[in-house]
Amino acid sequence: MRRSVTLRGPSDILAGAAGKTGDGHGCVHWDFSPTRARPAPGMSRTPDIDPAAAKQAIIDYCLRKGAMVAGVADLAAIERIAPAGHRPTDLMPRVKSVIAVAVGGATAGAWRVPAKALGYFGSTESRAYKIVYGLAFFIEHKFGVPAIYCPPDMDPELGARYPLQSLKLHAELAGLGARSLAGDILLHPDYGYMYYASCFTELALPPDKPLAENPCPAPSCVAMFRRDGRTPCMKFCPAQCLSGEIGADGKQAAMHYDMAACAELTQQFETVPQLLRDAIATDNPEEREALLLGERNKVLWYRMTVGNGGLFAQCFECMRVCPIATNAPLADPLKRGAAQRAAASRKVQHGGADAA
Amino acid sequence: MAAPTRRERLGVTPEMIEAFGPIIFDLSTNVQDRRGDPVRLLQFDEIERQRSGAGLSDPEIAARIGLAADQVTFIRVLLEQRRFKPARYYRLFQLGGGRRFRTERGMERDAYEEAQFGGDALAIRDALRFRPDHVRREIESGSWTADTVATYLRHWAGETPQAAAVAAPGHAPLSYGAALDRAERLAAALAALGVRRGDVVTVQLPSTPDFVVIYCAAARLGAVLSTLHMPYGPGEAEPLLRHSRARAVFCGAASDKSDAPAMFAALAERLPNLRHVISAGPERPGVHALEALIAGADRATVPPLPVAFDAALMCYTSGTSDAPKAVPHSYQSLLANPRQCLPVFAVKPGERIVSAAPLTHAFGLFVANVALMTGATFVPLPAFTPPALAAVLEQDRPTHAFVAPAHVAALLKAGLLDGRDVTSLRQVIVSGSYCAPELKRALEEKLGCGRVYELWGMTETFAVLLGDPREPARERHDWIGRATPGSAARITDLDGNPAPANTEGELQVRGCSVFGGYFDNAAANAGIFTDDGWLRTGDLAVMSETGHVRITGRIKDIINRGGVKLNPSDVEALIDQHEAVLQSAIVPMPDPILGERACCCVVLKPGQTLSLEMLCAWLERQGVAKFKWPERLVPIEAMPMTPTRKIIKGALIKMVG
Repeated sequence: MRRSVTLRGPSDILAGAAGKTGDGHGCVHWDFSPTRARPAPGMSRTPDIDPAAAKQAIIDYCLRKGAMVAGVADLAAIERIAPAGHRPTDLMPRVKSVIAVAVGGATAGAWRVPAKALGYFGSTESRAYKIVYGLAFFIEHKFGVPAIYCPPDMDPELGARYPLQSLKLHAELAGLGARSLAGDILLHPDYGYMYYASCFTELALPPDKPLAENPCPAPSCVAMFRRDGRTPCMKFCPAQCLSGEIGADGKQAAMHYDMAACAELTQQFETVPQLLRDAIATDNPEEREALLLGERNKVLWYRMTVGNGGLFAQCFECMRVCPIATNAPLADPLKRGAAQRAAASRKVQHGGADAA
Repeated sequence: MAAPTRRERLGVTPEMIEAFGPIIFDLSTNVQDRRGDPVRLLQFDEIERQRSGAGLSDPEIAARIGLAADQVTFIRVLLEQRRFKPARYYRLFQLGGGRRFRTERGMERDAYEEAQFGGDALAIRDALRFRPDHVRREIESGSWTADTVATYLRHWAGETPQAAAVAAPGHAPLSYGAALDRAERLAAALAALGVRRGDVVTVQLPSTPDFVVIYCAAARLGAVLSTLHMPYGPGEAEPLLRHSRARAVFCGAASDKSDAPAMFAALAERLPNLRHVISAGPERPGVHALEALIAGADRATVPPLPVAFDAALMCYTSGTSDAPKAVPHSYQSLLANPRQCLPVFAVKPGERIVSAAPLTHAFGLFVANVALMTGATFVPLPAFTPPALAAVLEQDRPTHAFVAPAHVAALLKAGLLDGRDVTSLRQVIVSGSYCAPELKRALEEKLGCGRVYELWGMTETFAVLLGDPREPARERHDWIGRATPGSAARITDLDGNPAPANTEGELQVRGCSVFGGYFDNAAANAGIFTDDGWLRTGDLAVMSETGHVRITGRIKDIINRGGVKLNPSDVEALIDQHEAVLQSAIVPMPDPILGERACCCVVLKPGQTLSLEMLCAWLERQGVAKFKWPERLVPIEAMPMTPTRKIIKGALIKMVG
């Protein structure tokens, strides 16, 4: 039996709760059937799972655990777009749904701190990972269907610049953000700049659609581009790795991103092996001492041992000057909390509940 | 046989890396291009069309270029590794908190490390060998601070930008604001020429505003200023430029009398380190024009500021040794002493300080630093003549004048202060060579209410002894003064034991402005410091119970006549007063029995004659003990002199030996 139900896309769930229904993020209608997922070993499948209700329960779980927004990406689209070896089915052959979760939220003050401190404010991805890690257990316990926390790391066979899965692609197709001129960093009109994590499950869920509109470039950026030929992110990138074009319609026409240049300035994981290599290679004991125990590299060992995993510094300069990232209306934690409470209230009114 | 490397196991050759590397890099996600917004719009055909622009996976690249995926991965990662520089992200530390990268300004760099040192800079830095206890003492006492010449210039350019920094006779006044502007422009120009922190820039110019600008520019850049006295020709300049490894030299314009730019351009062809000749005159082949460099430079590109322990100055001593010695000073040892002396000088911002000492001499630079530290106007004499000095002292209304005894003697002898209004002078500080008490008294009588006192120092020490204008005339005139704040002096016998008060011995000093050792001259450094860190000055002196010091001669001038040690200074001073003598010097001559005997070299006044017997008879009438009488008389046409008018006794010893 096929049922037609109405769900709101991920942006609308919170936007609507925040009183922004009808602001352009229209409701999305989906058709789908009840799932017949295979039970995970040692668990019993919940009979006749209502996909819409399941999705709602999953999204509510994510919001309650601190996500700014969550959604389901179209698996078929991911499979078609992602390169071989990096498709969800390469990781979980029977995957039916890819759930994308976004966290974020920096105070206005956070954008004003020095870059070496901003790294801490930006390192919220661990919160996203924590949510989807719990979500996988939540799905298995509640629905008796296998789920995994999608590893956010790099592909061990390809070095440090190729992820196992593109969390960005999942998030974009789930409607959690759209590619910006700032090196394709996803931006959301309400939540701004976020970090993403994904959960794969064999539970079939109705997918969301990508954002109807791309918030980048913001009107002020268009005006600046018309005047100077550069947007703020292009102008203030310290690696000068960004360039692009904006069309006559005020939308992105082209984006160029020199990721290597960006990585040279913002990534540190290659520092470790390089300094070890240099320390081994040098004939000068003083130089070796400086490489291994100099003030900058000694911090590296601190980070790797007793530190909290934060980065030495992270760039963020493109986001620091991005009006969408810094002025997103719901990036404010207090407003976000109100939105979440409204969502929870709606759930109670609808009689929904979850076992989390 | 060594096991094959991973590259070899993959069958990747260096040639393959060079050939395929750039292609692989561009096809990978390291470079990403996107047109439109195809993913969000689910335009699958367009996504496929742009797939290579967005960045291909390694298997996709491999399939496209005909290599194995493992080979592509290996080459890609190798190129990423080559391009990645671990230190790059440190630059991010400079961003945020209100500071943003701007392409028009360039990335704010690591303030110190990125500027890098010039090739020979560390060698000079190595000569700044201050003892750990010395460094601790100076820092803990506050004598050494973080100030540099550049920070003082910036301070006064901000406080009183319109005030005159330099007002040299015959030259337009230079304000502090303009001095900073010109100095930073010149520093940027020098940097553009490849002059880096720690490189030596040498100046041979009169004491003009241009000299001050060059001094400040070198200080702004972090280059090390060295000087050549104006009379030096190629014979004197070449060994000094070679020894200092000078990277650039500033000189005056060509004139009817000399062509300094041509001289230095010719030297540059023989000196591999000397890359740039910069003239105060017009540009010509192989010679930059100073004005053009300043006008064409962009202040925004000036490198980061040096720090106070950086080498600042390396002057060659004007001492009477055969071979000149290079004396490096950091900003700390350069500036601590004038800073400590400021309470004595009591200069106020805007007051005018005359210096008859040339800027090529440490004394002249000391005075310039006093003016710079106090926001006063520095009034140098581009070329000393007695009338010029007299005119400046009257017309410029200075409050302070720093002069050498020879300057004072010339003024008084010509009666050039008679009838002049020099009442603006509160202090006249005499230094550079021995100054007779009578000379100080005579000058003070001409000043009205001004006080005359003495300063004693060496290039190696700056002012370690200083009189005090608040003291009675007898102390100021009969003695040099006491150790300056931050300095200490002691007298030892020739065996190194402390000498009683009022007993002649060697003057030893230590303090905030005492240098750390000669640059690249191990022989000169040997024994220059005592084991407990005092500098052996080589001067003979006595110290009173109150700490006042008077110089009585040079140790190396002492004549050891069969075990009896004779200091000839007082006899020389007496002989100089003989009616037939213009100038005299007593030096040792070898003797097979006594070891040494005294030989008097004299320059006679025109038409005069003098024999040894006549001289000894005259000395006897003057009450000089017989053992001090010279035992040989050598009339000469002219004394060998240093540019600072000191007799080169080494040359005389060779002559009579």
